[in-house]
Amino acid sequence: MKTSSKEVQDSVKKLFEDGRISHFIGYEAGSDSLRVTPCFLKSGQTVSRLVWNPLCANNLAKYLLDLRKVEGKVGILVKGCDSRSVVELLKENQIERDRVFIVGVPCSGIVDGEKLLAVLGISPGDVVAVEDGGDAFLVTTREGKRRVRKEQVLRGECLVCRYPTPVIYDVLLGEAIPSLPWVRDDYSLVRELEELSAEEKARYWNRELSQCIRCYACRNVCPVCNCPECIFDKKAPRWLSKANDISENLVYHLIRAFHVAGKCVDCGECERACPMGIPLRRLNKKVEKDLLELFGYTAGIDVEQQPPLTKYQVGDLDEFL
Amino acid sequence: MPDIKEVQTEFKPKILAFCCNWCAYAGADLAGVSRFQMPTNVRVIRVMCSGRVPPELVIRALANGLDGVMILGCHPGDCHYSEGNYLTRRRAHVLKRLLSYIGIEPERFQLRWVSAAEGAKFSAVVKEATDKITALGPNRWVDKK
Amino acid sequence: MAAPRIGVFICHCGTNIGGIVDVPEVVDYAKKLPYVVHAEANLYTCSEEGISAIKEAIKEYDLNRVVVASCTPRTHQPLFRNACADAGLNPYLFEFVNIREHCSWIHMHDRREATEKAKELVKMGVAKARWLEAQEEFESGVYPAAMVIGGGVAGMSAALNLANQGFEVHLVEKEPELGGRLLKLNRIFTINKAPDELVDSMVKAVQGHSKIKLHMPAVVKAASGYIGNFDVSIDEDGQETSVKVGVIIVATGAQVLEPELYSYGKLDNVLTQLGLEQRLKDGKLGEFQNVVMINCVGARIPERPYCSRLCCMTAIKNAALMKEINPKAQVYVLHRDLMTYGVEFEEYYRKAREAGVRFIRYTLSNPPQVMGAKRVEAVKVYDELMDMEVELSCNLLVLATPLIPNADNEELSKMLKVPIGDGGFFLEAHVKLRPVEFAMDGIYVAGSCRWPADIKESIAQGYAAASEAAIPLRQGAVRVEAITATVDPKTCKGCGTCVLVCPFDAIELKESKIKGLEGKIVSEVNAALCKGCGLCAAACPNRAIQQRGFTDMQLLSMVNALSGKR
Repeated sequence: MKTSSKEVQDSVKKLFEDGRISHFIGYEAGSDSLRVTPCFLKSGQTVSRLVWNPLCANNLAKYLLDLRKVEGKVGILVKGCDSRSVVELLKENQIERDRVFIVGVPCSGIVDGEKLLAVLGISPGDVVAVEDGGDAFLVTTREGKRRVRKEQVLRGECLVCRYPTPVIYDVLLGEAIPSLPWVRDDYSLVRELEELSAEEKARYWNRELSQCIRCYACRNVCPVCNCPECIFDKKAPRWLSKANDISENLVYHLIRAFHVAGKCVDCGECERACPMGIPLRRLNKKVEKDLLELFGYTAGIDVEQQPPLTKYQVGDLDEFL
Repeated sequence: MPDIKEVQTEFKPKILAFCCNWCAYAGADLAGVSRFQMPTNVRVIRVMCSGRVPPELVIRALANGLDGVMILGCHPGDCHYSEGNYLTRRRAHVLKRLLSYIGIEPERFQLRWVSAAEGAKFSAVVKEATDKITALGPNRWVDKK
Repeated sequence: MAAPRIGVFICHCGTNIGGIVDVPEVVDYAKKLPYVVHAEANLYTCSEEGISAIKEAIKEYDLNRVVVASCTPRTHQPLFRNACADAGLNPYLFEFVNIREHCSWIHMHDRREATEKAKELVKMGVAKARWLEAQEEFESGVYPAAMVIGGGVAGMSAALNLANQGFEVHLVEKEPELGGRLLKLNRIFTINKAPDELVDSMVKAVQGHSKIKLHMPAVVKAASGYIGNFDVSIDEDGQETSVKVGVIIVATGAQVLEPELYSYGKLDNVLTQLGLEQRLKDGKLGEFQNVVMINCVGARIPERPYCSRLCCMTAIKNAALMKEINPKAQVYVLHRDLMTYGVEFEEYYRKAREAGVRFIRYTLSNPPQVMGAKRVEAVKVYDELMDMEVELSCNLLVLATPLIPNADNEELSKMLKVPIGDGGFFLEAHVKLRPVEFAMDGIYVAGSCRWPADIKESIAQGYAAASEAAIPLRQGAVRVEAITATVDPKTCKGCGTCVLVCPFDAIELKESKIKGLEGKIVSEVNAALCKGCGLCAAACPNRAIQQRGFTDMQLLSMVNALSGKR
């Protein structure tokens, strides 16, 4: 992460000064030193709040939806994954391209706080700062500086990220990163499960989804879950019973996986938001993998690309006789 | 775990078939007119096009405890609405894989092509689905309550 | 909405249903279903007696939903809907349950299970009926004029037919002359006459007809609209004009393949059949001794697998003619299979053989070989029947090549939103049941643009298309079954998914004009274009678009009823 917080601040300040944006969505320091939170600026005066570091996990694209009605242009800081969500929002006509100003930052991976603490054997209070150090993170603790190899502590989605550089932007801060050295098999998580027997798969998901408390955090945080009235909230027809049992949890998660099919860019927000630690990415990744294998489709690359389930080719695979 | 008594009673699966009005439903009608005898397990819901059936309905039907769901439509190229069944085919590929991924046997969800002239095929599809799903036993989804 | 009061009518269909399904048991069962206030059995619900039972029950029990469990909606739905309408109930408050084709007839050996299944099917029908809503059918006017694209024999037949019925017709021909491919022919099989007489009389009739407006040379540049209401823009001799019509007939014909085989174009005594006719017509053929004709040149091969249907007859026609012109000439027809179906054609073939034309069968794997450096001097062919190779002296080689689709078919297909098939010819709505209609209402097809057709067939198809097209013109209005899509603008997020999946371009994103939602971008359905397939309803992420008569609520209720859930 060669780009510094200072560079982000300067660039945003200039955008406000030049009158190119009226609002900006970025990150600021959070409640502890392992956390950053989304930050909304209305003028260049407060840009010093902005930070950019390997803790900036949130996909800010979702907040563009909240700022659709404001006067002027909304600036937003996007990583590779976030930019792909922006592409999906543009595809779905949920935002207008000329009403957003996209500040891209190449990203070489976000820290998974819990993994970091475990690897270092420390508690959150011990961390002072986390910086990007190429193939390692440089962690300043109360005891001094420590170096941790990225592969040990990256977030799951960053381990398989193919788009470290934003795919759409008005300005790019720092140099593009073509690929990340640790990314090899994108779908090992999925394949592992695919190879199990039906019985074992059922057992796995039973175990995982029995924990779901149906708080809908995964849906609420997802940038492409943006329907004005979600079908799960509709009273008639009722697609989902209020009963919180595994069967209904499964219905919820399957339908959700289908609803984000071809739109999910694996930003990992659902999994990060889940208070019960359910491996939701494993579900979304499965659909992602199938769409790629069946129809050669990858979400969030090109605004002009038509969603894969809204079109067809006569020569598509036909396994149904 | 189901008790032994339950296992011993004969398992009669309940299977839902969404049939498009123009091909599959007409094929089912023809099977009737031709008096092709077949198992009683399948219930038909008529839709105008196989493309009207969203994955939500299939998922809901399986979660409700039905033992199998079929979508029966026109053969590729024969859709009354020219392309509905192609969209159905894409969705079904994804849904079938997703269901299998969570442990639902692939036989429990089928997309099949049945033309208005294929009464015999409709009957064969019903038999085949009934046999396969009977062999699988009850839909495990219902154990999850 | 008043609380549902559902009446259920279970048909014995004589013994067809009643002989297998225990109808009284199903009636008793139906009576206990939610919202059912009346259930009865009828010997034949479709009989006059059954129909009046429905009408009376609607009044007596104040029914606001009717369910009939009998045969198939594909044949009987209109009858029962009308019965409801006659009794003052909106016909869309009727639901059909099929317990004959889908139950009694296919479970004749298991009365118990058949009865249980019938009960469940009725339960599902009742569950759907509870959510039925009254619907109004969309009606739109039909502009009383037709456009015929193509002034060949098919197009002229269609235009004359419609004009003679009194409708205004716009005939668009891209060449500066009417007549199409026919103009180039020397003689017509099987009557062996020059086509001039036929063409001239048709052209005169067209040109002199007060109802026909001829646009020539002219091409279609753009088209929009739907049945009854098309706006077509045509480029007529460099000038663009816009024409309003209610129906369109596509009769643009086809062209003859110019082959790159058998030294065609390289040696000057190699002609296509059409080239031969041209020379005969112009009197420029000159002397000839030995003629060899090869059929299926560039046809029935992997890249062009179809049979062009006309070439065998054309070859026979011209072979016999060569023999007639020069009885001493050796005339051979090398063919793969001779297509001379029907009485007349077979007779024509027999006469050619009697006249001395020789027919030799060759195979695709072993095609004839052309010998000669500057001119064709001989043709070597493996005679399949004789199992030997023969060498035929030849000073005129004539190739029968297939009709191929016009190059601009694709452009026209996109403009009119009508499909073309694999081979590049236009594709009708149904190969058997709707041979001259496109799936797009109000557009029809005739002649060789669909498939190689001879004169008689082209005329017949022209008439057929005209008679189909006359139906909406005559009726003056089209009604659309009220199963079209509707949008809830409040929950629509304007993502355009429905627009992408709609095969009929019936949905557009537009600024809402509804009070309170002004300016919001939402989907809007054009009921005149919507065909009621429901693709949009299945694709919409939050179900803001629904198909009337097949709503989520209705379908889900059926699923829930079947699986014992409320």
